[in-house]
Amino acid sequence: MGTPCHFALFDLQPGFLVDLDLLATRYRELARGVHPDRFADASEREQRVALERSASLNDAYQTLKSAPKRARYLLALNGGEVPLEVTVHDPDFLLQQMQWREELEDLQDEADLEGVAAFKRRLKTAQQELNESFAACWDDAAQREQAERLMRRMQFLDKLSYEVRQLEERLDD
Amino acid sequence: MALLQIAEPGQSPQPHQRRLAVGIDLGTTNSLVAALRSGVSEPLADADGEVILPSAVRYHADRVEVGLSAKLAAASDPLNTIISVKRLMGRGIADVKHLGEQLPYRFIGGESHMPFIDTVQGPKSPVEVSADILKVLRQRAEATLGGELVGAVITVPAYFDDSQRQATKDAAKLAGLNVLRLLNEPTAAAVAYGLDQNAEGIVAIYDLGGGTFDISILRLTGGVFEVMATGGDSALGGDDFDHAIASWIIAQAGLSDDLDPSAQRSLLQAACAAKEALTDSQSVDVAYGQWSATLTRDGFNGLIESMVARSLKACRRAVRDSGIELDEVEAVVMVGGSTRVPRVREAVAEMFGRQPLTEIDPDQVVAIGAAIQADTLAGNKRDGGELLLLDVIPLSLGLETMGGLMEKVIPRNTTIPVARAQDFTTYKDGQSAMMIHVLQGERELISDCRSLARFELRGIPAMVAGAAKIRVTFQVDADGLLSVAARELASGVESSIQVKPSYGLTDGEVARMLKDSFQYAGDDKVARVLREQQVDAERLLEAVQGALDADGERLLDAEERMVIELQMDELRELMKGTDGSAIEQQTKRLSQVTDAFAARRLDSTVKAALAGRNLNEIEE
Repeated sequence: MGTPCHFALFDLQPGFLVDLDLLATRYRELARGVHPDRFADASEREQRVALERSASLNDAYQTLKSAPKRARYLLALNGGEVPLEVTVHDPDFLLQQMQWREELEDLQDEADLEGVAAFKRRLKTAQQELNESFAACWDDAAQREQAERLMRRMQFLDKLSYEVRQLEERLDD
Repeated sequence: MALLQIAEPGQSPQPHQRRLAVGIDLGTTNSLVAALRSGVSEPLADADGEVILPSAVRYHADRVEVGLSAKLAAASDPLNTIISVKRLMGRGIADVKHLGEQLPYRFIGGESHMPFIDTVQGPKSPVEVSADILKVLRQRAEATLGGELVGAVITVPAYFDDSQRQATKDAAKLAGLNVLRLLNEPTAAAVAYGLDQNAEGIVAIYDLGGGTFDISILRLTGGVFEVMATGGDSALGGDDFDHAIASWIIAQAGLSDDLDPSAQRSLLQAACAAKEALTDSQSVDVAYGQWSATLTRDGFNGLIESMVARSLKACRRAVRDSGIELDEVEAVVMVGGSTRVPRVREAVAEMFGRQPLTEIDPDQVVAIGAAIQADTLAGNKRDGGELLLLDVIPLSLGLETMGGLMEKVIPRNTTIPVARAQDFTTYKDGQSAMMIHVLQGERELISDCRSLARFELRGIPAMVAGAAKIRVTFQVDADGLLSVAARELASGVESSIQVKPSYGLTDGEVARMLKDSFQYAGDDKVARVLREQQVDAERLLEAVQGALDADGERLLDAEERMVIELQMDELRELMKGTDGSAIEQQTKRLSQVTDAFAARRLDSTVKAALAGRNLNEIEE
């Protein structure tokens, strides 16, 4: 089968705007076919193949489900791999990052749960805005640089929201 | 050419031959075995009509006693009577001391880091003790169902780490069980609950057992049980409530807390009885020796409040990890005997803002769900569509990197099976070997994580620092068990291990135990091995025949099919004889020639799933 495009696997058109419910439904249909549970009494080799197929299906699903991963994947399909680590020339966003981080630290010091909730809402809005901007420019070769920049911003916000979750956990003690 | 067996479409060739498979809940306090009979999943009873088998094992010089009678002997024969052995599974001696309680056993070290308990029958590892419980359940099932088991689904706490899972699987192997799957207890409970209530939507399973606590958040959609997140504490349970009451008694009665093993046991028994009485009454009289006092429910609630709070914290984390809000949880199901404690129910209801469901017996629901899954895995078709369980790993998996830090390779709550690779490089010029240290846990410092295994990749060709590219691949199977491989990409030097946990048994120990258990059971080893080879051969023949009937026409040309059928004939011929190794060889050969066919079938199911959906869409 080679490595087919993740979008083709789920019978979706390659694109940034994905119907996540539809994606989930198709994922479940495909998982039914390849999950090792279906091969529990099959030969050892068949079990191993099922394990591998199932793992790559899960990987494809995770890639398309998450906005930053989907964005990175689309850019890779559309003009080559984006290097993981690179010096980013995005001074505006750098400033914004620092502000967010400082705010988060203050929230931690003050153990401000309501503040955390408000911060999460703002983060979500920022993520939606980024998604929209990316959707508008990712397949335009002339705007490739901008698309990569937006994708890196998405990754940062993703990481930030993970840090917020960790902060919530610490504040829960 | 073999004669083809022609079966009705959609039916197995032998419709009356149901393959016997069971679900086993190997609990801290109690264990159960359940099976699907006449379409209903139910626990199997022993000769006295009891379904619950207390997880207590007492060793005599010449025999092993398991169950209630052993449990009752805990105070009179504390050194030879092992209870709550599940708490010791997959743990090292140092961990056991950290459980924060006095255990009345004499521990001794073995070849591995696993603590062995010294008994009149010699040293016993927790794995062997668990195997003795499983053997009793296996015998019960075979006697009740009237035949040999194809296999069993054994449940484990969702929060069990790799070592604890591996230990459980070893125990099943030792008990002569073919493990179809290790299934997470809350997922098993969700299956029983979901099918019983025809439930859809987001469900939380709060599972507080004798020694472990799990919380799982699942999405139920048309027979698919998708775990969104899981969390818990593999050292929190009803036993800790008992210990809290026991400490209270010690303090109140002014006793020394350095009790002899027998006194310890009877103290814990008194504590457990008081806990159970407080489920229905507001207060209970507690007596120990000359001392007596009254424990009120409020007093008891105070003793356990911090533990209940710990469980709620794990619940909030699991909800956050699911990416949902608390009020999106549509039902909360209570599982495990300790959810009978009124304060636990109250606290869970407060947090989720809804009354938890307790309709299915909290002691039986896990085994019932496991039996349903076992029946499906054994290849028996269920009415009303197949179920599919999509589970996750409970704890992040990673590697040690420079500076004693843990680099996560697979984060917690990732759906399994999963395979993931990470590249590393050398940090010294000419470095020829690299130590791979596999860890599990959430903390950054490796000293705070569980060390699963260490192995070395040797023979890296001499290069300048940073030039070698070492790819480490983690693979977690559907049992939640990890295997790791490392490979230097330029030279292709390779090294891999099935993670044999640092706290597991060594291969030597497993071999010895298997040998002992054969002798102990008085089995004829040769006959048993032959029988196993025949069963494997039969299983493969059935699988291949089924595959040929379903897809042979479509996916194989005449020549390919002939090759497979020739090998099948040969295997059938050998099975008439008693040459075990010839059967084994031929089984392997048949498996090899069907390899490509197996891969084609899998790929075609993927396409079929898509094609089927497209058809449905056209009809709409």
